[in-house]
Amino acid sequence: MKQHPLCSDCEPELDITRLPIPTALKCEWSAMETRRRFLGRSGKVLGWAALASLLGEAAIRSQAAGPDAKSSVTAPGRNNLGLPHFAPKAKRAIYLFMSGGPPQMDLLDYKPNLASQFDKDIPDSVRGNQQLTGMTAGQSRFPIAPSHWGFKQYGQTGSWVSDLLPYTARMVDDLTIIKSTNTDAINHEPAIMFMNTGNMNPGKPCLGSWLAYGLGSMNDNLPTFIVLQTKTNPKENNQPVSSRLWSSGFLSSEYAGVGLRSGGDPVLYLADPDGVDREVRRKMLDAVEEMNRQTLAEVGDPETNARIAQYEMAFRMQASVPELTDLSKEPQSTWDLYGPEAREPGTFAYNCLLARRMAEREVRFVQVYKRGWDVHGDVVGMLPVLCKETDRACYALVTDLKRRGLIDDTLVIWAGEFGRTVYSQGGLSAENYGRDHHPRCFTTWMVGGGVRPGITYGETDDYSYNVVKDPVHVRNFNATILACLGIDHNRLTYDFQGLDQRLTGPAPAYVVKGLLA
Amino acid sequence: MIVAERVTGVARGFIQRMRLARPAWLRVISAAILLLALPFVFRLDGHAHSDWLQFLGRFHPALLHLPIGLIVLVPALEIAGAKQPALREAAAWVLRAALALALPTLALGYMLAYGAGDTGTTVTRHMWGAIALCIALMLCLLVRPAWAAGVQRWTYPLLLTATLLTLIWTSHQGGSITHGGDYLTRYMPSHLRALFPSSRLEGVSPDSFYASSIHPVLDAKCVVCHGAGTEKAGLRLDSYANLMRGGKDGAVIVPGKPEASLLLARVTLPPGDSHFMPAEGRTPLTSDEISWIRAWIHSGATLTATSIPGIVLEEVRAEPAPQPVGDYSQLLPEIQRMKQGVGAKLVPVSTNPSDGLILRTVDVASTFGDTQLAEFQRFAPYIVEAELARTAITDGSFDTLQKFTHLRALHLEGTSITGSNLAKLNSLTQLTYLNLSGTKVNAQSIGPLKNMPHLRHLYVFNTPAQPDETAARSAP
Repeated sequence: MKQHPLCSDCEPELDITRLPIPTALKCEWSAMETRRRFLGRSGKVLGWAALASLLGEAAIRSQAAGPDAKSSVTAPGRNNLGLPHFAPKAKRAIYLFMSGGPPQMDLLDYKPNLASQFDKDIPDSVRGNQQLTGMTAGQSRFPIAPSHWGFKQYGQTGSWVSDLLPYTARMVDDLTIIKSTNTDAINHEPAIMFMNTGNMNPGKPCLGSWLAYGLGSMNDNLPTFIVLQTKTNPKENNQPVSSRLWSSGFLSSEYAGVGLRSGGDPVLYLADPDGVDREVRRKMLDAVEEMNRQTLAEVGDPETNARIAQYEMAFRMQASVPELTDLSKEPQSTWDLYGPEAREPGTFAYNCLLARRMAEREVRFVQVYKRGWDVHGDVVGMLPVLCKETDRACYALVTDLKRRGLIDDTLVIWAGEFGRTVYSQGGLSAENYGRDHHPRCFTTWMVGGGVRPGITYGETDDYSYNVVKDPVHVRNFNATILACLGIDHNRLTYDFQGLDQRLTGPAPAYVVKGLLA
Repeated sequence: MIVAERVTGVARGFIQRMRLARPAWLRVISAAILLLALPFVFRLDGHAHSDWLQFLGRFHPALLHLPIGLIVLVPALEIAGAKQPALREAAAWVLRAALALALPTLALGYMLAYGAGDTGTTVTRHMWGAIALCIALMLCLLVRPAWAAGVQRWTYPLLLTATLLTLIWTSHQGGSITHGGDYLTRYMPSHLRALFPSSRLEGVSPDSFYASSIHPVLDAKCVVCHGAGTEKAGLRLDSYANLMRGGKDGAVIVPGKPEASLLLARVTLPPGDSHFMPAEGRTPLTSDEISWIRAWIHSGATLTATSIPGIVLEEVRAEPAPQPVGDYSQLLPEIQRMKQGVGAKLVPVSTNPSDGLILRTVDVASTFGDTQLAEFQRFAPYIVEAELARTAITDGSFDTLQKFTHLRALHLEGTSITGSNLAKLNSLTQLTYLNLSGTKVNAQSIGPLKNMPHLRHLYVFNTPAQPDETAARSAP
């Protein structure tokens, strides 16, 4: 039988190193050898092939990095990216995330003209052709629901604040209130993803991970990025919040947020079991590290590096976390400020206090999640509960940072993933109403290092429905946060899937200069 | 009779000598009379007239630069024409073109003032200046042929010079209407400005809230249109008396009642509103300025009050520009070694070496004492921030610290210092931030800090020096 010209059965095996091709290609080929071994070991399952090709490039990079890869283990969060790009105003940030979407017109976006328009339909010219959520798209009417609560002016700035926020009202002169924040997404999952990672699809690194990656750690004994979840209140409408929001995406997993539990031990299994002392633990870790290094040398998977760093961090946290969460030495003035609920782990007040303690200990980024703002119905019943839980604690945190001299280089951010509609979802009565999701405008605030105190930025129309002046899109919101921390959002990038990935995404984003001090 | 005959004779002789055709000077005289009569026929009495006048009038600023450019070109052409005669021929045409454009510009300007009801000394001066300028241009045109023929040597150059001077003066009046009377002198070096009459308030104590906070705001943002030069709506805001008098719509300030005060209402409208002030895209008042005015009206809008409840005017001390430090790149290996040895880190503020280094001790705080700090002394010229919070350093460290002359921020919170040596920090001339929270400093020991020129953020929370509930002096 005549052999097909392309059949290479009888020819000697091709030696890639002798072919006249660029060295870079040869390097890539040698990295493929790793992949081949990997494939062989995992039983040649087809699904693994795709994963391996994704990892391939990263593996080349980590091998090319050579000795650097090792030193990054000894100094986690080591910064060789050339950051900060310029002298930062804030060294750290605390992000109070109001998950669910707080209703802006009931809190800070005062609309005096609404009172006279109770139960009138919102004009078509205002609503335009906006797509609504499935929850209200079928409504035959869109009756305007004026806020149930009164507003008063406070401070030198004379900012209008709802009666629901008596404590926030005391600090309006310090706040940078942004009434024109707007987003692209109208449902929780994409919106909260967008807010945190700059992309509606999961898989991208969040703000905290970018900061950890870009700026590195200030305290080697605590994680660079810590997430605190507030205990849910069963009376509230809680939307799920999970680790996908503080994921490091395609960045090494050592930059992912470390969640502290809201009850019991803040970190599970942190204490050594009986019979294991600190020294035994150290020896065990050294042995594991040695084995991990061998694997790293063989396989070249950068995640092995991350794992080594995480074991080391856990070892140091055995000492640092108990000290961090021990509130017994807090002076009475702390409890006077935060209120009695701050003594109960898992409350928002407790988390705010913990966030202040983390700022003192130079934790780069703390994100506190408070769920329950998804007030589709019974706004009148739910909003006072939500405000009571958060209003005093926010004020306490800002005031505490201020009196301790931390506010100068800490940026505090208060934001949800979107706003809520001025028209009522479901029945509107004189006593009660509901509000649906609203992406076109929502109110956020910042305070501290880098931002201009005592200003209100942006304006919405008479219905708090559309932005009429100085819009702040989420991309620009995030670019501004990065700028406060000394980062040019266009230059903090990570090459992944052929794109210079960045927090603000490929679309143009700009720093909102009007917000900066 | 004889005198009259003689005058006519002289005039006739002059006209003959100037080679003027009778219709030419008759036309000039009648045009001049028309122009001079204009302000008496259509009086600028402060009342706005029809909108279309204003609509057309607003093209005045667009058009006016054309005749100005041409008029300035004329002497240039005449002078250059001495060498290149072709240019001198062009000058005649340019002069005619200048006049042809100056007349409609004048008309549009008059429509603008008449339509909007503008009055004021600057407006009046600008108007008469423009009329004089047009007449001067016509005269130039009239006498130029004689000069070109070599009959009259001086009349035309003198007239042209006068025209130019009139142009400068008139343009300046116009600029003052648009930008404010002190537009040119506002940023003049102070020793030069002393030569000019100042616009300081007379008879008002400079300590009063009006003089320190209200008048400067009105002066910078409102007086351009509501001042001695231009009195839009009959309102002048350039003095306390004028401010309280109000305009043709009545009083703009109601003492004690900010919500009833027209002035506050107009500056707090949404910027898109047609009644929003300052109008026409001029810089709006800041939220601070609005709150000062509100508080001032609330407290009675007096001329003499020096302090207003609820308003604390901080002494505005400019944040000093950060002094760049030298390049520490040569020292990087040593900096790396310090980290291995002492454990405390020297971290760059940014990639720009001149931003300096931060001394970060948080990882080794409990073991970082006076001796460890002393080891960092040789890096002192590059260290701009020292994070020594909760370290083991004592009062003994101040001798070392006083050599860190580039420090802008110093954290000493939670240390065991007593404050007895704080005076030594006086050598840190660039220090803007000092945190002494949770130490044993007291009111007496922080006294010497008053001499520090740039110290703006001093924190003494949880110390005997803490005056009351709030931190002492903080202006973040």
